[in-house]
Amino acid sequence: MGTKNVPPSIVQFALADKIINIGRANSLWPLTFGIACCAIEMMATGCARFDMSRFGAEVFRPSARQSDVMIVAGTITKKMMPGIKTLYDQMPEPKWVMALGNCAISGGPFAFEGQYSIILGADEFLPVDVYVPGCPPRPEALLQGIIELEHLVSDWKRWKDPEAA
Amino acid sequence: MICEQTKLALQKLFPPPEPQEDILEETDEEQDKKVAKKPRPNGLVERDYAVHGYHLDAQLDPNQLLEAVTILDEAEFFIESITGVDWIKDDQLEVVYDFARYDFDLCRVVIRTRVDRKEPAVPTITKIYDGANWHERETHEFFGIKFEGHPHLIPLLLPEDADFHPLLKDFKA
Amino acid sequence: MNAPIELQPDETFILNVGPQHPATHGVLRVKMEMNGEYIVEAETVIGYIHRMHEKMGEVKTYPQYLMNLSRMDYLGALGYSHGHVLLVEKASGIEVPERAEYIRAIMVELNRVSSHLFWFGAFVMDLGGFSPLMYALQDREHILDMLEAVTGSRLTYCYFRFGGVYNDVDDEFISSARRFIPRMRKSLKKYHKLVTGNVIFRKRLEGIAPVSQEMCRKYGASSAVARGSGINFDVRKNEPYSVYPEFDFDVPVFHECDSLARYNVRMEEIEQSLRIIEQGLDKLPDGPIMPKKKPKIIKPPAGDYYQAVETARGSFGIRLVSDGGKIPYRLKLRSPTYSNMHLFDEACRGMMIMDALAFMGSLDLVIPEIDR
Repeated sequence: MGTKNVPPSIVQFALADKIINIGRANSLWPLTFGIACCAIEMMATGCARFDMSRFGAEVFRPSARQSDVMIVAGTITKKMMPGIKTLYDQMPEPKWVMALGNCAISGGPFAFEGQYSIILGADEFLPVDVYVPGCPPRPEALLQGIIELEHLVSDWKRWKDPEAA
Repeated sequence: MICEQTKLALQKLFPPPEPQEDILEETDEEQDKKVAKKPRPNGLVERDYAVHGYHLDAQLDPNQLLEAVTILDEAEFFIESITGVDWIKDDQLEVVYDFARYDFDLCRVVIRTRVDRKEPAVPTITKIYDGANWHERETHEFFGIKFEGHPHLIPLLLPEDADFHPLLKDFKA
Repeated sequence: MNAPIELQPDETFILNVGPQHPATHGVLRVKMEMNGEYIVEAETVIGYIHRMHEKMGEVKTYPQYLMNLSRMDYLGALGYSHGHVLLVEKASGIEVPERAEYIRAIMVELNRVSSHLFWFGAFVMDLGGFSPLMYALQDREHILDMLEAVTGSRLTYCYFRFGGVYNDVDDEFISSARRFIPRMRKSLKKYHKLVTGNVIFRKRLEGIAPVSQEMCRKYGASSAVARGSGINFDVRKNEPYSVYPEFDFDVPVFHECDSLARYNVRMEEIEQSLRIIEQGLDKLPDGPIMPKKKPKIIKPPAGDYYQAVETARGSFGIRLVSDGGKIPYRLKLRSPTYSNMHLFDEACRGMMIMDALAFMGSLDLVIPEIDR
């Protein structure tokens, strides 16, 4: 996880940290990094019907230096991999990675015997925080992934888990 | 009809067919086996469009290629695609060119050449059709076929330093 | 106060419009040699999403390959599947019942409308206008609802089978499609009022990026690139397949050759697709959706086969080389965007970079289709 490597501050403000983390969770800014089919579902999530801006995440930044989350949406090829690593290194801490779709989780339908061009999953070279399965995952699944990520970022939940009570 | 004109123009590239010699009485099976093993000779064949999807099918030598493509360019065909096929059992690589037309005078022409698998080399048609540039680069990187005279024959879809040819039948990842 | 900088004619720098860029609609890289704002040379680098579809064609059996075609161009997926199933049916001699053909045509046209809507939203967003994307994607959601109720997927459909389709359309689909058509026509009027008459939009596209007919022919361009340059070429009319001869529709052709002509072609195509859907729903016959006699294992006879269809992006061709077995010997996919994109390098010489990016938007690119 990205936040594990951040050294703790010299003076600890527990309440302020909590509030800052809740602020971070409610305004995750994704990097526009749609590679393939899952990118279309990501764009549909940002638009009117599924509306990612309810969760504060509709501000897609093209520049890696201004974003919090890298949503890897699509198949990663060996040709593209150095570019993705560069983008991840350019993002400032704290940062998170979401693997959207089967291709980013484990190569998806393109992992067959004798394949020569793709990398089997984003977690081969990136520390992934949330995995959202599907081919492509529904926009609702992406929203669930954002909510799970919010829980990872700050310990605050939007609503009570109905199965836990 | 443009199909007839093109057929006559392409037919000029090939020598006229020789007269059939007398064949001894053979059983049907032996005759079938003979036909199956003989490689297809150079020449122009008309195909059934409803089954195969194209009209004319010409197989020629690599050195006749530029002449045939010039005939098609003057008849206003457009380049549809160029691809390769690996016939590993015959130890040959085949380059297949597809041409089609924009107007309602429907005619699809397929031109093929076969080259040796160890040292495949075919002249480039980029001087006639600019669009052949990317198609030839792709065929080169997937099969290893060299297109002589191509301005920029480096891999297109694979990484620039790739030195393997994935679509060959004996390729191991 | 500040004198304008004189451009030195031989001073150029290289600008990399890299694989990750909001305007390139996918992972496309263009290395541009620039003289100030003007492009001297551009070189397109592709292959960042090469997913080995042709190699998979030599490893998977025919039914296993059905899902690949949707991943090639995910916005107009059904058109590509249509080409593939038509090819294998032609090669194997499988008869398709009439109801299945009509259902296929209706679905393909709905998919074409949804693909053009997405292109419209993304294109205007490239030029700087963000609102049409919201409206277009909202309309597209209605189409996706209809298609999801029948096929089960929103984006990457695997609906066609060899011989027909696997799920029949019900009355709910027909009535919602009939309700959708007048709604879409009203939306088109809204888009024309909002976008097409806009003076900034017109100034950015009129006269920009001319592509001549000769250039189209040399590169093999199709769809709006050819039809925006005055070439009347649509595979549905030039080389009819499936049930398209039964429908009465026009092929929009504009002669100005500029980006605005390509935009107009696609907007007209949405209207013509709506006409086809209307006629298809009226003429939909009763009957089975899969043939009675179908081989259990698909094994086309040995030989060479080719099929071309008109998809949202142009003339898509598949070539099958079969050796009589249950796995193809060679499957070649001729992607229309590959030929359309190839024009870009030559056509954008001497253009300003923002005009070149608008030109790229008007070509309607989907990069995984180029890279296959």
